[in-house]
Amino acid sequence: MKSLTIRNLSKTYFDLYAATHVTAVHDVSLDVREGEFVSIVGPSGCGKSTILNMIAGFIPITGGEILVGGKPVRGPGPDRGVVFQSFALFPWRTVLENVAFGPKMRGIGKIERDKIAHEYLALAKLTEAAERYPNELSGGMQQRVGVMRALANEPDVLLMDEPFASVDAQTRMTLQEELTRIWQEKRPTVIFITHDVAEAVFLADRVVALSKGRVLADIGVDLPRPRSWDALHEDERFKAFTARVLQLVRTA
Amino acid sequence: MTPFLKLWSRYVRLTARWPSIASFVPFIPVIALWWLVTALEVFPRAFLPGPAEVWSAFKSLTYKGVLPDYLQDSMVRLAVGALWGIALGIPLGLLIGMSKRAHTALWPVLLFFQAIGDIAWLPILVIWFGYGLVTMTVVIVYTVIFPVVLNTVLGVRSIHVNMHRAALSLGASRLRVLWEVVLPGALPNIVTGLRNGLGYGWRALIAAEIIVGTSGIGFMMFDARRAGSVVEILLGMIILGILWYIVDSWILAPIERATGQRWGLVSR
Repeated sequence: MKSLTIRNLSKTYFDLYAATHVTAVHDVSLDVREGEFVSIVGPSGCGKSTILNMIAGFIPITGGEILVGGKPVRGPGPDRGVVFQSFALFPWRTVLENVAFGPKMRGIGKIERDKIAHEYLALAKLTEAAERYPNELSGGMQQRVGVMRALANEPDVLLMDEPFASVDAQTRMTLQEELTRIWQEKRPTVIFITHDVAEAVFLADRVVALSKGRVLADIGVDLPRPRSWDALHEDERFKAFTARVLQLVRTA
Repeated sequence: MTPFLKLWSRYVRLTARWPSIASFVPFIPVIALWWLVTALEVFPRAFLPGPAEVWSAFKSLTYKGVLPDYLQDSMVRLAVGALWGIALGIPLGLLIGMSKRAHTALWPVLLFFQAIGDIAWLPILVIWFGYGLVTMTVVIVYTVIFPVVLNTVLGVRSIHVNMHRAALSLGASRLRVLWEVVLPGALPNIVTGLRNGLGYGWRALIAAEIIVGTSGIGFMMFDARRAGSVVEILLGMIILGILWYIVDSWILAPIERATGQRWGLVSR
């Protein structure tokens, strides 16, 4: 686990069809401590996924810098694990092989990496599914595999790009609770991108509200852990946090 | 109606147990029709012999050893040509699919040469290489390679960018991405390309054998024309169909079932 520092980050595109420069991210700074869980929340087009793609090294930055454990980011790498909205599991690999993929790339032998993968699968109650192919699983189970694949590689920072946006509402709540449980066990540094304000508050230590490429507010969420929807659903402080963030995002 | 349904259900259960029956039974009405047409002598017997005559020609040619030899020659030629076509086509397809520069440079050239049909090469190939295996191999490679390349390019390009990103952020090098993502991701399309390519190659082979051959099924058919033996021509045609069926259902279809279908990339 390492810290993540973002300083004066910006991203501008040149829109070929409109023939103008478009600013997607404008002067964003953010400090994430080791083992901290930070949600970035905002409406579609606010630049939150662009920020994540720049941290992951998938797209180049226009200005500023991104440091992981003090080192500048240069392209994608195993120090930053990514969980995708569309899962992006390898369809030609079994669940076990998907989770063991990171360790395999690190050169860990078959017996050892299968042991690691089994350990993480057990953590997400996926042991039964180990030998199945991703297309044989439900969306919720596929994303459990996606999260475990990223975690099994022991990244310094875990980047999650609206990971639960494409599963049904009931499964989403279960996955959110599971994520907080697993996070408490492994304590990775997490950047969690979402447009769902309640989800952002429920999961995170801090919620960063974003609009039109700028940071609106950075709000600490000191709700007790472990968190569960049964306990927080009617909780006054949870509701207050959610209302505050929602108002910020909507009025911006 | 009920007796028919009973018969049908028996057939379904039978084919579930022995799937090969399902591939044989549809030919019964075809053969029956053929037999009926020849038995009624709609056409003179010398122009259209019946199943029995073709069957006895098959037996005698097999007994003489001519048919097995020719069959072997044709299959070896197809195999050699196909292997070269695959060995050249897949890497070329991967290159064009992954590199924008290679695509810009090679795509127009590829389309140009695709337009010159395989048979159109025969005159010049005969002058260059004579009447032999080289000429036939070149023709088959030429026919196999285009469907393989074009489908491989399509396969490579249909892989979602997040597959690459996932592999890279799990620590894969560019070379590992090629092996772990690009190749398996493009495989269903590659198999489709092989299927088309081998189908075209098989036809090109017969054409080449007719024109430049000294042995093989195509040669047998053309030689039979010279002798006026319609029986052997029909036998050759039937063998072509059966052989292709075997190649497709015993080699290509199982590959498809074990890869794309299993992974959910191709519907069953």
